[in-house]
Amino acid sequence: MTELYLHAMFGLGGGLGAVLRHWIALQVRHDLPLATLIVNVVGSLLLGLWIGYLGGPIDLGEEERRLVFGFCGGFTTFSSFAYQSLELRRQRTIALAAGNILLSLILCWLALLLGLFLTR
Amino acid sequence: MTQTRPTVRTTAIMFVAVFVGGAAGSLLREVFSAQIPGIPIVTATFGINVVACFILGWLYSVRHRVHAHVLHLGAVGFCGGLSTFSSFVAELERMAAAHFWGAISAAALEIAVGLAAAILGEAIGRQLHKQKSMK
Repeated sequence: MTELYLHAMFGLGGGLGAVLRHWIALQVRHDLPLATLIVNVVGSLLLGLWIGYLGGPIDLGEEERRLVFGFCGGFTTFSSFAYQSLELRRQRTIALAAGNILLSLILCWLALLLGLFLTR
Repeated sequence: MTQTRPTVRTTAIMFVAVFVGGAAGSLLREVFSAQIPGIPIVTATFGINVVACFILGWLYSVRHRVHAHVLHLGAVGFCGGLSTFSSFVAELERMAAAHFWGAISAAALEIAVGLAAAILGEAIGRQLHKQKSMK
């Protein structure tokens, strides 16, 4: 299995993650950036589950590993989170912007921990 | 009758653009993460997330002047694929195991620098456009 193929699997995962993220953003139409919060929390949960699962007894091929890691990274986004926080500060209140930042950080961290805990 | 619903074709192009951008961004992040050594607080993911914020700020500063598919490719796909929230929290979790407040500081720093990078990207994008339209 060549390194190029493994990179392609990672890219495939990332592309699929981005498509699903955008699809969710189109479904969740809200004036608060809820869609980004949802994908980041779900993606962090998935990454936690995956890291925990890989530490377990079942050994997986490198291609599956890359595919799911790629998916988590492509699905979640830091840049949109940052930009939407700025927009909240500009168009709404600084409290909403701070709330978005704190809530994203806390919920995603907890989601990752939950994932790790469930597969321990 | 005005057409308000996007056609099947535009929807398809939109999702292809998001896919291609997301795949390219993810791939670039994977390659760079392996190349950039990173130090405990300023990890490779940190740097890449900040770069993605900068590019996104730039793209949004010209969003009314570019085709929607450029934004689907560049902003939604590429910047979203390049940046990651899941690895960001996974790294924080790893840091927190050694030093909880160190991890909290790293998170605050990464978010602050990311916001600053987005503002900087916007400012540069706006400035360059102004210069271009004055010529």
